Amino acid sequence: MKYKADIVVTLKNGVRDPQGSAIETVLKRTGMETDPNVAVGKYFSVVVNGESEQEAKSKLANICQEVLSNPVLEKYEIERFELTGGVR
Amino acid sequence: MKAAVIVFPGTNCDRDTKAACEGFGWETDYVWHFEQSLSNYDAVFLPGGFSYGDYIRSGRLAKFSPVMKAVKEYVKAQRGFVTGICNGFQILCETGLLPGVLTDNWNTRFICKNSRLKIKDGKEITLPIAHGEGRYLAEEDVLIELNEKDMIFLTYADNPNGSVGDIAGLYDRERNIIGMMPHPERAFFAETGNTDGREIFKIIEQALAVKK
Repeated sequence: MKYKADIVVTLKNGVRDPQGSAIETVLKRTGMETDPNVAVGKYFSVVVNGESEQEAKSKLANICQEVLSNPVLEKYEIERFELTGGVR
Repeated sequence: MKAAVIVFPGTNCDRDTKAACEGFGWETDYVWHFEQSLSNYDAVFLPGGFSYGDYIRSGRLAKFSPVMKAVKEYVKAQRGFVTGICNGFQILCETGLLPGVLTDNWNTRFICKNSRLKIKDGKEITLPIAHGEGRYLAEEDVLIELNEKDMIFLTYADNPNGSVGDIAGLYDRERNIIGMMPHPERAFFAETGNTDGREIFKIIEQALAVKK
């Protein structure tokens, strides 16, 4: 069975986010928001095959830890995980 | 003395690194990233540039290159000495051969300039730096270990990128590897106006002498 997952990788709390800070500066300077607290991350969409949901989830966790994020300074969240007909 | 300069798709400092190695008197080969053994080489260089587009994060995809498996085996067998420069340093950190991680510079800019540096023995040198992701970070326990085991061999005098502890380069725990963001190969020949890069090659030479 094929499962489609959406993954978002962001910096761990406390790690300085220079891109987020730059965007924050613009939002504040233009008056669009006073305290926007911006975090910049990366979005991935991945299809994983698995005999069961559990197997697919375990494969996905490995992909997130070994490839898509660096656990030293990043964390990942699986935003969506659902059966797919194979069309991305 | 035989050196290998690893070439990934996107590497662009391979020619300078090979020229510097040869200038130092070492027979040097380019080694494509599909190579599966490095046992013929006394020294291995992971040069600067990019690797696999540096997608996801710098050095992250090079981690899965066949040659990196060979580098791991090479280090484990204590066959010789591994040097990672710039993208090579990032690859070594992503692979876990060196602790910590390199991330976006403090000021979000790509920094390309000469940087004043201090070698562990107290010598001060100047080397070019050219990177967007050169800010070294590590967890607190790793930083303690780096200091306790005297693994930090190179620090910035002016810390241009916001690295923790001014770290510009470090050894691994067993002293088989160095990784550094500055480019010694770009300051090697008198024609470039600066030959301070030779000091780094001397460090590698000394490390190899200890091994023999």
